[in-house]
Amino acid sequence: MDDLLADFVAETREMLEASEGEIIAWEADPADRARLDNIFRFVHTVKGNCGFFDFPRLAGLSHAAEDALADCRAGRRKPDSALVSAVLAIIDRIAAMIDAVEAGEDFPEGGDEALIAALAEEPEIEIDARGEGPVAGTAAEATLAGDEAGAEKGDARSSNAAPNPALRSIRLPVELLDRVMSGVSDMVLARNDLAHRLRQAGNQPTIDGPFERLTTILSDVRDAITRMRMQRIETLFSSLPRLVRDLSAELGKQVMIDLEGGDVELDREMIEVVRDPLTHIIRNAIDHGVEPPSDRLARGKREIALLSIAARQSGNTISIVVSDDGRGLDEERIAAKAVATGLISEAERREMGRDKILQLIFEPGFSTAETVTGVSGRGVGLDVVRQNLERVGGSIKVSSQPGVGTLFTLQIPLTLSIIAGLTVGTGDQRFAIPQSYVEEIVHSSAKALDYTCMGETSLITFRGQRVPCLLLSDVLGLDCGDVAEGDHTMVMLRLASGDLFALAVDRIHSHGDLVVKPLAPAVMKSGFYAGSTLLDDGQPVLLLDVTNIAGMYDLVSDARTRVLKTGMDDLDRASGDVMRAMLFTDFAGRRSGLRLELVKRIETAPASAIDRSAGRARAVIDGVILPLVSLPEGPLASEKVRLLRLSDGACELLHAVAEVDDAVELTEPLKPVADDPLVEAVTLVAGQTVTLIDGHELFARHGEPPEPAARPLARLPDSEWARTILAPLVTSAGYAIAEPNVADDKVALTIMFEDVYEVAAALDRPVAGSVIRLSDQPDGGDRETIYRYDRTALVDALQHARGRSGSASRNRKANA
Amino acid sequence: MNDLFVMTQIAGRRCALHAHDVSSVIEIGAVTPVPRTPAFIAGITAMRSQALTVIDCRLALGFDAREWPTDHRAAVVAVSGHSYALRVDAIEDITTGSAEAGQVPGGFGPEWSRVATGMIETAIGPALLLDLAALIAGPAVSPEVFGAAA
Repeated sequence: MDDLLADFVAETREMLEASEGEIIAWEADPADRARLDNIFRFVHTVKGNCGFFDFPRLAGLSHAAEDALADCRAGRRKPDSALVSAVLAIIDRIAAMIDAVEAGEDFPEGGDEALIAALAEEPEIEIDARGEGPVAGTAAEATLAGDEAGAEKGDARSSNAAPNPALRSIRLPVELLDRVMSGVSDMVLARNDLAHRLRQAGNQPTIDGPFERLTTILSDVRDAITRMRMQRIETLFSSLPRLVRDLSAELGKQVMIDLEGGDVELDREMIEVVRDPLTHIIRNAIDHGVEPPSDRLARGKREIALLSIAARQSGNTISIVVSDDGRGLDEERIAAKAVATGLISEAERREMGRDKILQLIFEPGFSTAETVTGVSGRGVGLDVVRQNLERVGGSIKVSSQPGVGTLFTLQIPLTLSIIAGLTVGTGDQRFAIPQSYVEEIVHSSAKALDYTCMGETSLITFRGQRVPCLLLSDVLGLDCGDVAEGDHTMVMLRLASGDLFALAVDRIHSHGDLVVKPLAPAVMKSGFYAGSTLLDDGQPVLLLDVTNIAGMYDLVSDARTRVLKTGMDDLDRASGDVMRAMLFTDFAGRRSGLRLELVKRIETAPASAIDRSAGRARAVIDGVILPLVSLPEGPLASEKVRLLRLSDGACELLHAVAEVDDAVELTEPLKPVADDPLVEAVTLVAGQTVTLIDGHELFARHGEPPEPAARPLARLPDSEWARTILAPLVTSAGYAIAEPNVADDKVALTIMFEDVYEVAAALDRPVAGSVIRLSDQPDGGDRETIYRYDRTALVDALQHARGRSGSASRNRKANA
Repeated sequence: MNDLFVMTQIAGRRCALHAHDVSSVIEIGAVTPVPRTPAFIAGITAMRSQALTVIDCRLALGFDAREWPTDHRAAVVAVSGHSYALRVDAIEDITTGSAEAGQVPGGFGPEWSRVATGMIETAIGPALLLDLAALIAGPAVSPEVFGAAA
């Protein structure tokens, strides 16, 4: 019985939410039969259900509302706003009673008669509607009455309103979903463990296949489970028409609401997070944004204001745009208020653009409303809205046209529980950082980053900007680990407020999707962590609360510095134009320079890595073949060559130099050189001339995407013949011979004898890469096999396979 | 004598936990320490795909954990939706006892009074019944609590 009751409560709630929107729509267009039918159906269902559960008062209320609506349906009565208000009041009462039922409390006596009386248009209807006595009889009677009513109306309904084609759905306890979700997470961990053990055990084709399948299925299931946590944003939207109606009625304004994108799906937790901020913005818009009808008419606007709310999904974020066509934000008033409250100074105000000034409304302690109304002036400002959104990694901004309207844009992440994250290590411990904060990862020496300590604060220079730097081991009070000071990896973190800081960690481990679980309150209280997550190996890892940590070190700027900073940014940009160049001496003894942005690394390569046979010089660096320029003519004097590895982002090339000098700033003017296209300009550094090489021309002539030197692997039959006679042919065709224990997925080509192939095919055993089948007979006649001494055919087949695997790997690269 | 209790030794004393509060007893694997939290939070550990907060009960009471042996097993309890693994001297047994907790004249001492619901009689003798929420809250003022590092 308890389950039945819970279902009744849940079902009624669901219908309540759905019908609210319907009533408002119906009031706007009383002739709309479909709406009327929907509302009627709701009260009718409630009436029937209450009788079943013996809730006489609920039954009485719904019965009265049903009667009034039935009159409208039959055309005996015209729906007016008084009736709509009365029906709404009854629906509200029903909602309150349902709450009481769920809590197991008794609802206070009385008040029902007044509500029912409000429905009445004429006294006799009121008397009719007071059907409380008889309905409140026994449960059986009431059910009977409900059934009868259902039977009576049944025919009429089927004739004039086709029932809505409802989506097939079931109701599940959230707890069950969570259990399934954590079960799937367990499965993923078990799979990872198994994968680990399989790798240790070596290659086992009979197990690998099914295991791959398991992996695919598991990731599908995981996706589906994640989707289960999603809810349409409609559930949030459905309560808004009512809110807007009540507010506008209260404030004597007329507002029409337009909802769009209700089918956008959002994590159900996130929906709860957004509910309050959205409500607040709507209150604000109606209270402050929308003018009274008379003002609107005077300005030549429509009497009824339009409030439109639209949700959109783009990638991993949802944006909700709330716009009204009210009076817009008053830049002058906002600025004056901000100056008056000391948020900004008069001088700063003059520097600020309109857009900047408008964003001030989100600053703490800001509220422009001259009269605090009961609706939006509740001491909770837009600063709280912004705070709440930022807490979940979202943001809010406003734009406005005076007299035309205001537009709020809320950006929120799709889900709270699965985020992209970066795992970093300090000492022997790992921590996770939400990817959304990570601006860039810088591996560099202390010297290059200009690591300095100012008092207790460390600073690094990043793109010409001094950025505060925190050592993660210091922040967490851990031992420094084995990484020397200055050899740390810098994770550049950008806060939602726009502030940038560097977090120095010992190493970066991995990045990927993290399933974030909440932490115990005692741990959360420390303020350093936002949650925990499990790595693939089942090890728990703490997720750092970046915003809070930055706050502890006062790295989050308040409005004042935020405003100041924008001014400084412009200065930085101006001074950031200083050109830096890498100076070197080439083999002709010329002092030359290359723009520093082009230089990726300085390499030292042995002379043996350089190949000049094919017309253009090339060198192998880190297993990659790169074009090499400006080598001296003739044999190399030394055994080793210094090379500047240049990159334009896509292509790379090597520039041989006799000697590397230093990186310098180019302060003197550049004098363009006309006659040599390879020279961009000549300039002075420390009183000596330097030839600046034209990077554009250099890459245009020589740049190539790096080509992996690794040759594709070919697996040969395991026989003496293959090793001694076949192998050289395969090698000269550009392959490397695979060792017997190489994993299948690395092998690009398998050469096997026809009889072996047939056995494999019969057993359905997969063959790695493309296949060349060899036959022992010269006159095999079978086109798919090649006689093992038919050199021409073999070479052709090898070339052919090479081309295929080559293009395949290029495609992969393009996809990646 | 009809309620079930998990009997443990904490800081050398016999303590009882209500069996319906204890969801399982697990072998504690690797514990990841949580820097900048009070010392009684030993760290987090993984139980299947769940992260458990490991609480050292001796430290949570305000005693020194080094004076007693530590069981390699821990009792897993759930308090207001979060799961904790309780690290104790030893997990002894599951036994029946009376649900009526009584007080003793003179109290249990300052550390114990905060977390003890009272004394109960069990099949293996008297034991102190613990209030989990109070235990997990840790010592009222812990000298090891770190504030902001700034």
